[in-house]
Amino acid sequence: MIDHTASIKDRQNLTPWLLLLPLAAYLLIFFFVPLAQVAIMSVTEPQTGLGNYERVLTSPLYQKVFLNTFTTALLVTVCCLLVGYPLAYLMAHTTKKRAMLILMLITMSFWTSFLVRTYSWMVLLGRNGPVSWVFLQLGWDEAPQMLFTRFASTLAMVHILAPYMIMNIYSVMQKIDPSLVRSAESMGARGLSLFRHIYLPLTAPGIANGSVLVFVICLGFYVTPVLLGSPREQMAAGLIGRQIEEFLAFGLGSAMAIALLVITLIILAIYHRRFGLDKLYG
Amino acid sequence: MKTTITKGGLMMPRRSFLMGTAAVAGTALAAPSIVRAQSNVLYINSWGGAWLEAATANLFQPFTAATGIEIQTVSPVSFAKLAAQVRSGVYEFDVTTLGGGDIVRANQAGLLEELTPTFEGSVFENGMASHAFATILAWRTDTYQDQQPNSWADFWDVERFPGRRCLQRYPARVLPLALLADGVAKEDLYPLDIERAFAKLEQIKEHITVWWTAGAQSEQLLRDGEIDMIGMWHGGYFRTEDSGAPVAMTWNEAEIERAYWVVAKDTPNMEAARSFVEFATSAEPLAGFVTQANYGALNPAATALVPDTAQPRTPTSPANYAVAFEQDMLNWGADPEVVSLRFEEWLSS
Repeated sequence: MIDHTASIKDRQNLTPWLLLLPLAAYLLIFFFVPLAQVAIMSVTEPQTGLGNYERVLTSPLYQKVFLNTFTTALLVTVCCLLVGYPLAYLMAHTTKKRAMLILMLITMSFWTSFLVRTYSWMVLLGRNGPVSWVFLQLGWDEAPQMLFTRFASTLAMVHILAPYMIMNIYSVMQKIDPSLVRSAESMGARGLSLFRHIYLPLTAPGIANGSVLVFVICLGFYVTPVLLGSPREQMAAGLIGRQIEEFLAFGLGSAMAIALLVITLIILAIYHRRFGLDKLYG
Repeated sequence: MKTTITKGGLMMPRRSFLMGTAAVAGTALAAPSIVRAQSNVLYINSWGGAWLEAATANLFQPFTAATGIEIQTVSPVSFAKLAAQVRSGVYEFDVTTLGGGDIVRANQAGLLEELTPTFEGSVFENGMASHAFATILAWRTDTYQDQQPNSWADFWDVERFPGRRCLQRYPARVLPLALLADGVAKEDLYPLDIERAFAKLEQIKEHITVWWTAGAQSEQLLRDGEIDMIGMWHGGYFRTEDSGAPVAMTWNEAEIERAYWVVAKDTPNMEAARSFVEFATSAEPLAGFVTQANYGALNPAATALVPDTAQPRTPTSPANYAVAFEQDMLNWGADPEVVSLRFEEWLSS
């Protein structure tokens, strides 16, 4: 005998899972299965064992590239924060019309293909580009080398990733109750002290969310550092690409990819313990 | 999950990304495996650009007209894909071309079908000799107006020729140039003195503004004046010159490399693939192809058909060949894999 109300309840409980099924199947077939293949390859190519991981962890080249990947991601995150925070503040505290205008400009840049944005920087920072022209007008004999340096790749990555930071901080700032700031003022808090003790802590979740998103996405950047940077500062994804395309080192490339994934997951896990991963969705 | 999804767009290797874009437009990715069953379509790995134009007009269209076999091209040329499809049994292309450096490696890895020679010296390491191309020294004439560089020693001479330099990120082609610059005679190059080559490269490292990785990129760098002096493929150079950029080149110490048509091991389209390779290296189609794309034909019967006007731009014409040198992968002097890895480490330090 089935209790009628219970079966309706069961069905209701089942509905969200059924709705998730297509996505879950898609991810299983097109993401988790290939990922498992990569993981298997990392311990079976060319020989079975942990030799690839040993090489990844002990070779100076890979150590350097991993270290560089993380310092670059950190640098980009800090720059995004420095650029994004004031802009988000401006958006949250100006008229609705102006805020919409700024938002539109940011999303326009966000929707432009990042390849196009990367190539735009090649034109802008090129030897005969407008930035070089300004240097020449200022009396320089030759503009400094900007393209193919860490400066160019960092600048472009900040440009590409800043919207993630701005959106996250803006959404938090928007929800801050203005009466909190007013009551702090009525208690005598001014300027820097008001910002440090009231406003900054209130925006902290936005900063944390934005930073984690920017940092994690930046860890896997491929095209931008390859096209704008120099091999001295190459990042993990670029090296993985070369391992597979040039050296056919499928095992070594896979081991690097898995190592990068594991480190990324560890960072996310730390973040989850501290702030809760669910906050990433706003 | 959110991070994974966003990463999809940003982490993907450039080539997959470009193919992904193509897939959106015309399901290019899915097509080959679906149409696979039809043996009347041959899939050829394409270099794109001028190569594709010359190949379509002189090789692909005449082949289809003669045999009724349709040709579809797959981009970009990827040695890794050749290896991957033999491993997985899923073929995206049946036929591709390989340079002298890669063909030894590919054949040793068992990636290539055996071919039957059609002219003397035609088959090397299971590749059918097609055409020769060269890595040449080129420069901006607006930068070097009084005196112009003429050798790799000049490329290394940053006192006499100050300026930004550029080489390919490919040690098999770059190491011999370093040895020539260091005074090694052309006939004594091979086997390469790897230590000496790296020591010489170290001298020029800080003057190499960028290491190019794709042919089109080398053209853009020279055309836009992003660099002053470059070692690049001659075909790309002539396209740059024809675009009107102030550039010049020398055939002196040009590094000649042979390109071979190969058939992917165990491809389901074997018969069509073999007959295409034979067709593409036969006199008339090959002559048209090399004439249009400035290559040097490796089939003497084709060379005989190439007009004399093409000679100045052909690496294998008697005048150019005399001052150039040829790559010798069989007597290279070291394991290319090991050297490549060392090169990458050296670049990143």
